[in-house]
Formats: sequence, structure tokens, C-alpha cells
Amino acid sequence: MAGLGITIQRIEKSQGVARRPGTGRRMTGGYDERCAADLAAVCDGRDLSREDRTWLARVVTGAVRPNRDKPLWDLAHALAALARGTEAASGRDLVTLALDPGLATAAAVTARFSGTVVADARGPVLGEAWRTSWAGLARLLALAEFVLTAEDLAQFAAVTGWLDELAAAPDAEGAAFLAKRLARHLSAYRNAHLPLAPLERRFRAILGFLAGRKAFTDDDILTFWRGEMEAGERPGFRTVAEHFVTFEAAAHLIGGLEGLSAPVSLDAHAGWEERLDAALGDLAAAEPAEALAALLADWPEGPKILTGAEREELTDLLRLDPFHRTRPLTTLRAASFGQVQSGIANRLRRGGGGGEVAERATCAEARSYAALQERAGALAAHLARMLRIAAALRIAERDGLDPETRAVLEAAEADLRRMRRSGFEDRAALARGFAAAETALLRLAAETGRLERALAGLARQRPLDAAFAADRSLFAAAFAAAYAGEAAA
Amino acid sequence: MSEDARLLAEIHAARVLTRARPSAARPSHAALWAHANREPGAPVDLAVVRALRSDPEAARRYRTLLGAQAVAHALLAAAASDGALTRRRVGPFELEILEGTPPLLILRGPDARMPRRIEAWLGDEAVRLDLGEPVDGTILLALDPAVAEADRLGQMLRDPACAVFLL
Repeated sequence: MAGLGITIQRIEKSQGVARRPGTGRRMTGGYDERCAADLAAVCDGRDLSREDRTWLARVVTGAVRPNRDKPLWDLAHALAALARGTEAASGRDLVTLALDPGLATAAAVTARFSGTVVADARGPVLGEAWRTSWAGLARLLALAEFVLTAEDLAQFAAVTGWLDELAAAPDAEGAAFLAKRLARHLSAYRNAHLPLAPLERRFRAILGFLAGRKAFTDDDILTFWRGEMEAGERPGFRTVAEHFVTFEAAAHLIGGLEGLSAPVSLDAHAGWEERLDAALGDLAAAEPAEALAALLADWPEGPKILTGAEREELTDLLRLDPFHRTRPLTTLRAASFGQVQSGIANRLRRGGGGGEVAERATCAEARSYAALQERAGALAAHLARMLRIAAALRIAERDGLDPETRAVLEAAEADLRRMRRSGFEDRAALARGFAAAETALLRLAAETGRLERALAGLARQRPLDAAFAADRSLFAAAFAAAYAGEAAA
Repeated sequence: MSEDARLLAEIHAARVLTRARPSAARPSHAALWAHANREPGAPVDLAVVRALRSDPEAARRYRTLLGAQAVAHALLAAAASDGALTRRRVGPFELEILEGTPPLLILRGPDARMPRRIEAWLGDEAVRLDLGEPVDGTILLALDPAVAEADRLGQMLRDPACAVFLL
């Protein structure tokens, strides 16, 4: 069994799964469960927008340039300004402001502080030449809650003590001192809860593999993965594809950072900051991945618009967003052979026998690309039908409509009568259920439609059966070599 | 390149982190903080009170918040004692129960910052009372048996396992 444990740890290590020293908790994707829970407490408690959630996650992981600590510097100055403006007598008053979920939006922050904090047309003035927007102040308060409550409140008393000191002397010096303390605090937090080294190693390997190129092909992803498999790293194909999603999204930032280590004028520095901030901000705004995954994970209770199995299939096909519309071949590879590989990894984790590993490694059970295309088409058709039903439930008054629209709605009524799904019996409850799911349904139907079209485009260029057969021998060979030891066990 | 790889790793972690959706701890920090700052006798959030009684993890988080803003606190009586306790230290403060009718709680300490309230915890039970103004560095509180909370505070303080927060 000890050998098995080592095998599992080797697999997990190669997939970027680290274990937290001491507790042995698994850490996937560069963060541990504590970090995810700390962040969720702040985001859910304040009901933050997606943009603000992404901003906060970015600040926590350190994806801020040129200086990771800039948001903490801003926060310290914002707290000093609030201490002066609101006459906060003690750290406790500042904690109350930081923990107040009613101060989570620009509008709420404006309403509360526009009379008490020095401000101009653009927002609060936090010091000489030190300013932010009202939305920026709302974000900084979310960051304040994070630094106060991080590690499930382990440092709460210490940080409250620092705020006490700031409240006693809320001047520039006090703010600068607090900024340094907060920077050390968050840096220690990252060391404990964000094991980025395996991710960094993999990105360094990808950068080396691409040798300065910023564009890559589906076959580049496959070739890179095979190289890692041969080198004994054995990362999941999906994991590698995920890294390429990030690489593609951030490729335009690459190379631009080197100049920053050289001394630059303050103006140039500010310019860089704006560009990078804007670029990272765009990345966040244009980052639909969490939305799709979250849509499926948080699907509202109610009528069975999607069954559990349908949601799982959609999650699997859309997990590499935006590749489902831009790189259908990688999407198929991940859904077919990535699935086989995660089956092998799960099998090994649970202590499965060698015979089964060998059997799985042949990819005999892999879902063919044609079958996946057909499934994607069926799911797209189902979602489109559900959208028409949503319209029929919403539009009761149809007299003024053109005949074509009326016909579509009538067809939807017929579909609705044929549906044999739980929750579809009571029309009033069904209408409420569809209303609750409408936004999610629209987006999911649109994305699944785009997947369907991308797959059709791929099939025209490259017959799917031939592509599948060729890929199967590549993946089977890679699995057979990489898992030979376990298969023979 | 190494700086590029680092930034990509940070962005990647931020991406997957925003996708992870663990359920947040309940009650929220804000709700626990509001409870920690409540006026004695003021209406309370019953969901919070229930959580503090039934969920040891919520109680632990609450006491962390309370301890951080307390003038002084002690989770146990410092000195072991046989039988009921009539004297204990909480940080720089000394609490003494003077038996009589009614018993009196005497709180002495440094003049600099006297607490305004006391909250005592024993098991899953809590009592919070206003302390009143100090006179010559001493606060006197009658533990009147006719006032349920004051009476209960007196009984709890006599138990060495009682946690005391001076707020």
C-alpha cells in the first residue's frame, strides 16, 4: 500500500496537486481549500459582482503588476482616510466598516462617505495625489475584509491591533507602515495557501516549448502533453489544456514585464500599471469560464430543465471555455481521452488493479469524436427547445404576434406537453422555475450552439472518424508507456 | 521568462480560484461581528444565537472576534480552585464576588481604559451585561437574584471553566 500512496502522490504532484504540510490537505490548481473558503466567505458575504470577485482573487494570488502590493498600499491609505473622515476612534470602528456587507458597491459607498470623506468628481481623495474611485473604495473594503478574516480569522486580533494603531495616528506615515504590514501578511498567506511553484514550473515549460511564439495549435497542446508524459511528469491532458487556456488569455501580456525590472520613470511606471491593469481587468471581464462552470454548478432547484447527467456532460464539454468554440479538436481530445486518463488516475487513487489500468490505457472505451459531436448536437437541440418553452411560458398574450412567431410558440407548447420530466406538470410553478433559470439557460444554449457549430466546422476540414483513430493510437501509446509500471503491477 | 511564468501562474490560480465555489461559512463574519458589538438586551439575530449554541465552529469564530475587540479576556480562570471561585484575574483586571444580599461583583483595574461591558461564556451559554461607570477605578455591579441575567452571571463566574470577555 505504501507504494500505491507514493504513486498517488506522484500523479497528484504532476497534476499540480500539492499537499499542505502538516494537515496533508490536497491543494489543487495552485490554492488550497482554506484559501477558496476564505475568498468565498468575503465574496458571498458581500455578494460581490463577478468583476469584483475576479479582482479580489487576482489581488490574493498576486496577479497584479508592476507591484503586487499596490492594492494593499491603496487599502492602507483608504483606511487612513476613512479613519480621518469618519473620526473612527479605534480599530474596531474600521473593522466595522470593513465587515459591513452594505458597503460592497460603489453606490453604497458613495451614499455613506461622500459627505464625510474628502472627494472630488472622480471619487475620494485619500491623500496628496492619492485617489481612487468610489467603486475602487468598495473593492478595497472587500480586500480589508479578506485580510482581516483570512485563515478563518487566525490573524483577526493581530490585524485589528494594526488598525487600532492606524486609528490612533491616521497620517501618511501610519498608512505607509500599515501597508508594509499588510504586504507581509498577504505574502505569508500566499506562501501558506497558494502553492504556485508547480504552476509556474509548467508555464515555464510551456514558454520553453513555444520558444517565443504566442500563437499555438491544437497539435502543439498535444505535443507538449506527450513530452511531459514521456518525461515522467504525467499531467492530465485536461490540466495541460487548462494551462493553455490561461496562456492564450494572457499571451499579450508576455514579454512586456521584463522591462519593468529596469529602472523606469514614474510616468512610464504609471503607464505600465494602467496597461497591465487594464489588460488583466479585460481578462477578468472576458473570462467567461467561471460563469459557465458556475452556471452549471449553481443550477437553480426546480423543474428538471437539465438532468444531473446532462449538466455533467455540458460541464465536460465546456470546461475549457473558450476552447469549445475556438479549438474544437482540443475540446474533443479532452472530453474523450482526457476522460480516459482521469479514469486511470481515479482508478490508481482508489487502489485499482493493474489489469484494469492496462485495459483503460488502450482507450478501447474512449468516446469517439463522432459520438461526442452527436451528443453536443443533441444537447444544443435540447437547450434550444427549452428556450422556446421558456418563451411560450412567458408570452401568454399572442394575438398581436406575427404568424411565424405564433407557430414557434405553438410548437413549443406541443413540446411542453410531450415533456416527461419532474416539475413540468404544474404550469405556474414551471413558469417560475424557467424564469429563475432563464439567464443561465440563454447563455448555456448560446455556448452549446457555438460548440455545435465549431464541431461542424472541424468535421468539414478533418473527418472526425479518421482524426479519432489517429488520436487514439497516439493517446494509447502515451498511456501505455506512462502507466506501464502500474499496468503490470 | 521567469517573471512571465510567475504572472501566468498567478493568473491561472486566480482563474481557477474564482471558479471554485465552496459554500461560505455561516453565519457570515458581518453577522457575528454585529452580534459581538450588540448592546446588552438589544434584539439579536436568532439565527446567529442558534448557530453559536449548536455549532462549535461558529462559536469559535465568534469568540475570536469578541476576543480581538475586548479590553481583556480570559478563556479559563487562571488559578485552579476547589469549590466555587470568588476571585479571578482577567488580563490586568481583578474580578471579585463579594457575597451578601445581593452579592456584588467588584472589578478593579488600571484607570487607563475601563471596560463598559462584560460577557461570560460557560459551555454554550452566554450572558452580557453593562458594567456602569467606574468610581475611583472600581466598578461595582449588583448580582441581584431578582434580575435573571445578573444572577446567572454570578453563578457562571464562580465556575473556573467560565470564559470572560471585558468589552
